[in-house]
Amino acid sequence: MKTISLYVDKKTYLTGLHPFTKLFYVIAAITAPLIAGKLSGFFLMIGISLILLISGGLLRKALPLVVFTFTILLTIFLIQGLFYQNNVTPLLSLGQLVFYREGLLYAARIGLNILNMLFSFALFVLSTDPFIFVEELERAGLPKKAGYIIVSVFQIIPQMAAAKNTITDAQRSRGLETEGRLLTRARAFIPLLSPVVTSALINTRERSAALEIRGFEAKTRKTFLSERSFSRSDRLGFFLMLLLLSVAVLWRNFQ
Amino acid sequence: MTCLTFRNLKYRYPHQEKLALDSLSFTIKKGEFVGLIGANGAGKSTLCGAVMGLVPHFYKGAYGGKILLGGEDEDDAIEVAKTPIAELCRSVGLVFQNPFNQLSGARITVYEEIAFGLQNTGIVREEIRRRIEAVMELLDIVSLRDRNPFDLSGGQMQRVALASVLVMEPEILVLDEPTSQLDPAAGEEVFRAVETLKASGITIIMAEQKMEKLAAYCDRIILLHQGKIVDFDTPDQIFSRDDLSDYGICPPLSYLVAKKGAEKLDIYGWKPHSSRDSQDSRAAQDSRAARDSWFPAEIFAVRNLSFSYVPELPVLTDLCLDLDNRTTAIVGQNGAGKTTLVKLLKGLLSPVSGSIWYRKEDISGKTVAMLARDIGYVFQNPDDQIFKYHVLDEVMFGPLHIGMEEQLAKTRALEALETVGLTGLEEVNPYDLELHERKMVAVASVLAMDTAVLILDEPTIAQDYRGRETLKRLIRQLEGEGKAVLSILHDMDFVYDCFERVIVLAAGKVMGDAGGEVIFHNKELLKQAGLEQPTAVKLRNLRIK
Ligand SMILES: Nc1ncnc2c1ncn2[C@@H]1O[C@H](COP(=O)(O)OP(=O)(O)OP(=O)(O)O)[C@@H](O)[C@H]1O
Ligand SMILES: [Mg+2]
Repeated sequence: MKTISLYVDKKTYLTGLHPFTKLFYVIAAITAPLIAGKLSGFFLMIGISLILLISGGLLRKALPLVVFTFTILLTIFLIQGLFYQNNVTPLLSLGQLVFYREGLLYAARIGLNILNMLFSFALFVLSTDPFIFVEELERAGLPKKAGYIIVSVFQIIPQMAAAKNTITDAQRSRGLETEGRLLTRARAFIPLLSPVVTSALINTRERSAALEIRGFEAKTRKTFLSERSFSRSDRLGFFLMLLLLSVAVLWRNFQ
Repeated sequence: MTCLTFRNLKYRYPHQEKLALDSLSFTIKKGEFVGLIGANGAGKSTLCGAVMGLVPHFYKGAYGGKILLGGEDEDDAIEVAKTPIAELCRSVGLVFQNPFNQLSGARITVYEEIAFGLQNTGIVREEIRRRIEAVMELLDIVSLRDRNPFDLSGGQMQRVALASVLVMEPEILVLDEPTSQLDPAAGEEVFRAVETLKASGITIIMAEQKMEKLAAYCDRIILLHQGKIVDFDTPDQIFSRDDLSDYGICPPLSYLVAKKGAEKLDIYGWKPHSSRDSQDSRAAQDSRAARDSWFPAEIFAVRNLSFSYVPELPVLTDLCLDLDNRTTAIVGQNGAGKTTLVKLLKGLLSPVSGSIWYRKEDISGKTVAMLARDIGYVFQNPDDQIFKYHVLDEVMFGPLHIGMEEQLAKTRALEALETVGLTGLEEVNPYDLELHERKMVAVASVLAMDTAVLILDEPTIAQDYRGRETLKRLIRQLEGEGKAVLSILHDMDFVYDCFERVIVLAAGKVMGDAGGEVIFHNKELLKQAGLEQPTAVKLRNLRIK
């Protein structure tokens, strides 16, 4: 059983960083251009994220995300370029359609914002083991139960997939045709649904007994298996990001 | 020193009329090893759950009387029903009957899974590490350290479940059939480990079907029947009772011999299945002749079969095997690849390389559903197989899908249920049944399909004496009807009794393939494959010496 996490343990300096450092990067990267208030700020930030992604060997995994958001970006440009309420200056026209400068600028701002968020998030998600992240959250005071729920969320899809495979095996081994043409497979999908849900519910119940007898509800402070402290690079990272934020503030005020 | 006291304990599950535990009163001393025996449904698992506090904290229902941990004096004892499980779990540990249910689901490696309880109870890190290393060593699962606990074989999972509780070093250890899916060597290892724990002052309560082992290791045994204690005494006293069969218990062979005398039991004359002179062995000869003249073999031919779930871990390598009509047992260590092999035969998995032929046809060209008319397979874990809400629907599913008429399917299903002793439970939801009953539902649901080949994956799990006898009868009956029965087993007595041919699998290779008499006298082979001699063979050898 695998998790749905996109994380790949590439053992680069990025995966080695503390999850909180990378989380802080996400925050800094999103806020800095907003503070600075300049379009070029977004370009700069996206550039930094790209360089980091490349240096961590993660660009290839990040690209599908970009492709995925591309359609959204396109609609934003279309709608805002054509219908933005403050549109006054026509920029170019395609037959009947007239695109306005204000709308396109506004769209660019939103689009760049989205891209910027996307790249910084990608950096975090692709280089951080969700289980380690949750552990760090728990160390920082997140209740055990909340941690368990987050971890379970990462396992819902693989668990459902496993349940689906198990039940499919049970059904086809007793003669229900589940292989072959699309129609056959589609037809086999319906008798699957209710058992998959039921088995998930039953498992949850059994699971909670298993958790209780292993002290899940104990009031004691949990022991963590690993010691993960902020390294020199983490501190450097934090320093650089604070610097970045200060530069953004200065940039905004000096013009 | 008293460690555990039951005072007139009564318990009834919600929406039930009968008491599951009825007026239990007894005490257990610190450092005692107490066995718990009784037929299926006697209340063993409920009693185990009661010590852990799952009854009544988790299962609710009507509860009366008391269980006290620690002294007999109520002032300094802990009362189970009044203490939260989170507290109880520091002094009591429970290993579930079904290991799959013991996994936390919150950890993705075996190592972290074992650590889970220790982390929750706040044991210091160095101590956690030390204990895990020790327990992994003890249960021989060091090599599984980084594996996902959900991707293990049944026996490996049971070892992990055991480890996850042992590692918490409870003062009272409650084990509910902890060796049911373990290979014989590992089962013996668990009993020895428990003995060591006992020596260090830990109190042990173990429900178990293996009477031989209980007789050898326990201090005292509780005989439970319909929720009541019939007797609580030393193994000698318990197993010398004349009325054991009334309670669904078959005493260890050694006690029977001592009582009735070896001659009367005709122990010297006992032969394993293969040399029994019956019509079945004639059929076997026929099939052997067939094998020599035909290729591929009559039922299954496996050629250069290799398989792995993940490329790094080969499970089967270059396996060649012919299977015919003889009743065949597959035995071997946990994780040897037994389940994997039969799933390949059934078509549920596809070979990485090599081929499998069924009646001279390569099965790679057929879907599992097409093979279902011919090959029936009962899963190791019944929960993996059951998906309907009524027993009868479950059992009729197979017959209906291989094209039987509704009426015929129903008749077959009812017959199958009768064969496995489940008549009267047709309308029950299988999820409400006990493990042993669900296992039988799984058997019936395949039996009703009336296939030429029947593959059973550890059918004896959770079965008491009566259940095992039912299965033996079933296997003999199928054999008589000319069907091919192939079964994976860890119960060597059962194998010796019922199977003509024994295939020993170890690390994905066939290490032995012969009749029971030959296999079970090859000590070297038995040792390598984690097996043991059947009790009858052991006793016979003892007498001959
Ligand atoms: N779904 C899976 N993914 C990865 N590895 C698996 C999976 N199922 C089994 N394995 C591994 O394949 C090997 C063989 O497993 P298999 O279930 O065939 O063993 P087995 O002989 O049936 O053992 P047991 O007696 O414990 O049931 C084991 O090492 C096991 O850990
Ligand atoms: Mg198996």
